Amino acid sequence: MVHIKKILSVFIIALTVPVLASAADYSESLQYLLPPAEYFGQVVLDNYSHKAGVSPVTFDHWLHRAKFTCRLCHIDIGFAMKEEMTEISAADNVNGYYCGSCHDGKRVFDGREIFDSCAEDYTENEGKRCARCHSDAESGARKYKYKTFSEKLTKLPGNLIDWEKAESEGKIKVTDFLEGVSYKREPLKAQDDFSIKTKTWTADVIFSHRKHTVWNGCELCHPLIFPSTKKGTTQYSMKQIMKGEYCGACHMSVAFSVWLCDKCHITPVKQ
Amino acid sequence: MKKAIFITGLLFSIIGIAFAQTGVKKKRPLPYEFGRVVINNYSEASNIAPVVFDHWLHRAKFTCRLCHVDIGFAMTAGASDIKARDNINGYYCGTCHNGTRMFGDTSAFSSCKEESGSMNATCDRCHSLGKNVTRKYDFREFVKGWPKERLGNGVDWEKAEEQELIMPYDYIEGVSIKRAKLVVQDDFKIVSKVKGMPNIIFSHEKHTVWNGCELCHPEIFVGIKKGLTQYSMVSIYEGKFCGVCHNNVAFPLLDCQRCHLQEVK
Amino acid sequence: MKNIARLFFIGFLLFNFWGRGFIVGGSLNTVYAQEQGDWKQEYAEICAKTQNAMELSVAELKDRIERADKLQERINKLEGPLAETEKKVFTKRLKMCRELYSFALEYKEHKE
Repeated sequence: MVHIKKILSVFIIALTVPVLASAADYSESLQYLLPPAEYFGQVVLDNYSHKAGVSPVTFDHWLHRAKFTCRLCHIDIGFAMKEEMTEISAADNVNGYYCGSCHDGKRVFDGREIFDSCAEDYTENEGKRCARCHSDAESGARKYKYKTFSEKLTKLPGNLIDWEKAESEGKIKVTDFLEGVSYKREPLKAQDDFSIKTKTWTADVIFSHRKHTVWNGCELCHPLIFPSTKKGTTQYSMKQIMKGEYCGACHMSVAFSVWLCDKCHITPVKQ
Repeated sequence: MKKAIFITGLLFSIIGIAFAQTGVKKKRPLPYEFGRVVINNYSEASNIAPVVFDHWLHRAKFTCRLCHVDIGFAMTAGASDIKARDNINGYYCGTCHNGTRMFGDTSAFSSCKEESGSMNATCDRCHSLGKNVTRKYDFREFVKGWPKERLGNGVDWEKAEEQELIMPYDYIEGVSIKRAKLVVQDDFKIVSKVKGMPNIIFSHEKHTVWNGCELCHPEIFVGIKKGLTQYSMVSIYEGKFCGVCHNNVAFPLLDCQRCHLQEVK
Repeated sequence: MKNIARLFFIGFLLFNFWGRGFIVGGSLNTVYAQEQGDWKQEYAEICAKTQNAMELSVAELKDRIERADKLQERINKLEGPLAETEKKVFTKRLKMCRELYSFALEYKEHKE
């Protein structure tokens, strides 16, 4: 019993050493924690594809992320925030819901017609169009390549795209309103920034409402992700965040990764 | 050995607790699913598929008051305790669904013909949970060309009524009481407690035109004087107060600006 | 002649008591039926003013609430094949209307 205890404690200490050692410059270790940048934010949708005899859909967030706000797709159109939760069927797309809200073969965006998604019957010729979504990113069926796209954009550690900078530098222009999809509302005043006290040795978090609402509006987070309206009512831990709850709903897979600790843990700890 | 089992068990239970339901965004119902209620007081026990009631069709044809006050349906699924016998006796669904009552030029199909007997295609029209039943009215066709809104059913019911695309019945002969004309109460302001959130402007007129008075008072809103009942968005999200309707039949709570209208200077 | 007259008389008497028994019984039945159906009429009368409950006087609200309570007792005693359903349905319908009057009454009394 004593032997096991000893071994275990040595093992645990041994694990913490590399983490602590690379605390100052951890970008190298990020390569072990994050997927390759072009797969960051990839979502595989296979509610019905397999059953219907087609490849599952791999949706790479980066392209849409560069053109539309999170709010537009996740609130106005109504996509869920978790892989496969929306249960999109070809019929839904054909009926003008979900992907079909824009991908209807008629809507013009950026001077071009957006290709039609799904069809009630499809011929072999149309297979090419289907493969634009029902394929994996490496199959060559995609029109836009990540490498070319992300070349000129500022990067974060881990080679992730810094979307905030990309927008402030004018390299991407994000649309928040689409005719027939969005409905005009009086914008709600952005709430103040506030700090979240941490319970461990880490610096307090400074949460910026303004930065979040500019892409998300209010409805994306409230009330489903952050139920309470009074600060401090909902308690959550990094463990839950890492499971994809709370901040993790976005910051585990599409927004900058939680592994970039100092993007949120900003205030210096009081000595 | 016992210790190991205990520790493993403890670890598993901690992991189990960690899978909390808050902090996660659940699936939002599709426009044709919004307002869906599943009623299963007795169906499953009688070896029949539970009833799936989609509000949108009846919403377009009748006021809330007609069903929830005149006929007497409760405001939560299962609370009415409807039996087949009640329908056969001409109450609840059976008030209209008796095969003879006419609405315009169509008659409402008969519900629950016999208390116990073989199920047929008519039964499936309501008792459809888990079955692939093609409904008579297709949602998309039904709301084609109607003024659209985001969230919920995706339909602006208010505008649809203004434009006379829907003309909900508010009175059924032999069921509804001949009542005095509705006297509309004033609109009023509800001050929002969260700094920066606009105040709510509550319109009695918009609510009473479809609900009457007794649907909300006093069952849902007990306070006789404004300000006596204090409630927060948390209780509303839980399905109390405004949440009784605005969680799943009326426009959803996600649409903040529909109520939070008055900018606080 | 006398016999025919006697026959007529007996027949008349019989008819009166027997026949009238039917009629009386019939009337009683009708009265009973009316009494049974009357409660629905009573419900319709009590609850006819829910749309303008706030305009009623304190006295009228109190009267309607009292009538509603009495009607509820009658509903609880319903009999017949439809009784179970009708008790459930009308208890709920009457409750909504009675509680609304009580709500309006409380509002008015509080104001005073």
